[in-house]
Amino acid sequence: MRFVRLLVFLGISLTASNLHSQEQPQDKGKFEIDLSELQKEVDKIASKPYSLGGFAEFQPTLLGIDRDSAFSRVKFFKNKQGSTFDQYNFRLRLEGSYKKDIFSAFFKTDTLVRNDFEGWDEDTKLFEAYASVKPSPSFIVEAGKKVMKWGKGYAWNPASFIDRPKNPEDPEEALEGSTVATVDYIRSFDGPLKTAALTAAVIPVQRHVNAKFGELYHTNFASKLYLLAYDTDLDFMVFTGESRTTRYGFDFSKNLATNFEVHGEFAIINNVKSKFIDASGRGLSKEAEAVSYLIGLRYLTEKETTYLLEYYRDGTGLSRERMRDFFSFVDTSYRNFLTTGNAGGLVRGAQLSKGPYGKPNPMRDYLYFRVSQKEPFDILYLTPTLTSIINPIDGSFNVLPEITYSPLTNLELRLKGAILVGRSHTDFGEKQNDYRLELRLRYYFAL
Amino acid sequence: MNEPSMRLLLALTLTLLFATPALSLDGTEILKKVDANLQPESFESYRKLINIEPSGAKREFLLYTLKKGNDKIASLFLSPASEKGRATLRLGDNMWLYIPNVGKPIRITSLQSVVGGVFNNADIMRLDYNVEYDVQNIVDEKNEHVLDLKAKTTTVAYDKLKMWVDKKTIVPTKVECYAATGLLIKTLYFKERKSFEGVLRPSVIETDSPLYKGYQSILAYANVKKRIVADEVFTLEFLAKIETIR
Repeated sequence: MRFVRLLVFLGISLTASNLHSQEQPQDKGKFEIDLSELQKEVDKIASKPYSLGGFAEFQPTLLGIDRDSAFSRVKFFKNKQGSTFDQYNFRLRLEGSYKKDIFSAFFKTDTLVRNDFEGWDEDTKLFEAYASVKPSPSFIVEAGKKVMKWGKGYAWNPASFIDRPKNPEDPEEALEGSTVATVDYIRSFDGPLKTAALTAAVIPVQRHVNAKFGELYHTNFASKLYLLAYDTDLDFMVFTGESRTTRYGFDFSKNLATNFEVHGEFAIINNVKSKFIDASGRGLSKEAEAVSYLIGLRYLTEKETTYLLEYYRDGTGLSRERMRDFFSFVDTSYRNFLTTGNAGGLVRGAQLSKGPYGKPNPMRDYLYFRVSQKEPFDILYLTPTLTSIINPIDGSFNVLPEITYSPLTNLELRLKGAILVGRSHTDFGEKQNDYRLELRLRYYFAL
Repeated sequence: MNEPSMRLLLALTLTLLFATPALSLDGTEILKKVDANLQPESFESYRKLINIEPSGAKREFLLYTLKKGNDKIASLFLSPASEKGRATLRLGDNMWLYIPNVGKPIRITSLQSVVGGVFNNADIMRLDYNVEYDVQNIVDEKNEHVLDLKAKTTTVAYDKLKMWVDKKTIVPTKVECYAATGLLIKTLYFKERKSFEGVLRPSVIETDSPLYKGYQSILAYANVKKRIVADEVFTLEFLAKIETIR
């Protein structure tokens, strides 16, 4: 198998390169720093008004398809695809900045080239590009495409009203921003209230600007008040406009002890319109207020094991009955396709899978558990992690073991697996894959 | 009680009353001088952090750091490319780490290490010693004061410190850091005094730890300059923008 051969080859190559890494002469004596060299380096970097860098990435992935699941049936019913296939992703991320006096500018682009059984595909996106004016550290005006980063949850952010949703299986990945104009006003104080910061944002939605954000040809407004009071981070958010319904949010984060943090998010969304189908495929819709919330904790042990636990209630998510109806509809459509050749139902199922049914976590209740160990066995820059996302309503879940290691400066390796477990007609049991194995090699550079 | 006895009792009471504070005042004064001689109260600096493994392999991180007053410190990673843009903020006992891709800053703890190696966050974002520690005891040796320091609160990274202070220059030469259990966590060595704006300060801090046998970490300072920036720089909202005021 091409993927396994590649994996073995890469593993041997990297181990060999690590064994022979020459980051410095292998002098095991006491290291002495050359302060004059440091001074030269600092003088050079201190006078540079711009930066340019990023990373190049290669990620081969092996996917084990669950041929009997609803999502693989709607995607692969036309193909005689086997039960496994490999995928090769090449990514180039570029980012740069420039500053002069009170002005600064920043950009980030993302180019993904993918090869799999469907052939080659390329997608380039401008993730962020904005200009900033800071007459003082208290007053900042920015305009352009940027990520707002609202919310305190690690895997999900129900109160992040402007940004695109994160991928809970990889929540630390960069996101594409939205085109906005923002004003920040920040004040610091002595006493229990240490910081207050007010952010106001304007989000236009036009044919070529934020077109996927919501209803076109409207200008929307959002605001966030941040407080650091009694050693607690607090945010209050509001979004209003015609492109999306009005919504209110709140989040908090606090260290109860030096090694124990709690956080939470709460959001109320007015008049959420949801579209769904019954088991026969009849389209239905409903409009109601939705309440979403998240509560989480992070705990660090003396041995630097970090535990993260989050519970997420998505008020806009689909109920168990709605998901079962979708799975039943796909089952019926598939049987119909096999007996009559009529693919109408499966085509509709494929379209629906691009909407709410196909979200990574489409239902209402989820648990997120992550445990990571920093540098076990005194191996620097090695972090094994085990993550699981659990649907407590239908008992299905996934398990995501991963190891990240940086054998050389600027080189990061990540080996990650995913195993999906669930019965028929359950959330994870009906996903496209049974398992996934991916290796990510990322090399960072600065020009 | 007759009058002489009353006077004797009063004298004894006064002696006992003022004896301990006098010792602690000396210690506190020495500790404040140590802080002033290590770094200005408010400053900017560039620092290089080097982790050295038992094999001799090393990894370097360059940081830009701003400190203001007793409780505010922010650092921005300038290199290597894989860490560029990361920033840490400390406001008293609160510490956050901003990773550009992750988005919002996350709360971190003093005993964690954002760079790996022997230095932890409390070492990299160290406040003045007199802010976090009380002097419990002083021993006068020939060339050095040896101070026993006790953490003022349980949120401080190390429960106790043993600090050797050079009598002539009033700068520490060595600091041993202990956990509440009495376990020696690490030893810091202050070296290479260098003139920063006319004041001779140690420019290199080395550390090793019995918990990381064979590993060594070094923190070297360059361009330490007095700089007072607005308090608003030390906020979560500004953390992602520190590069713009460098």
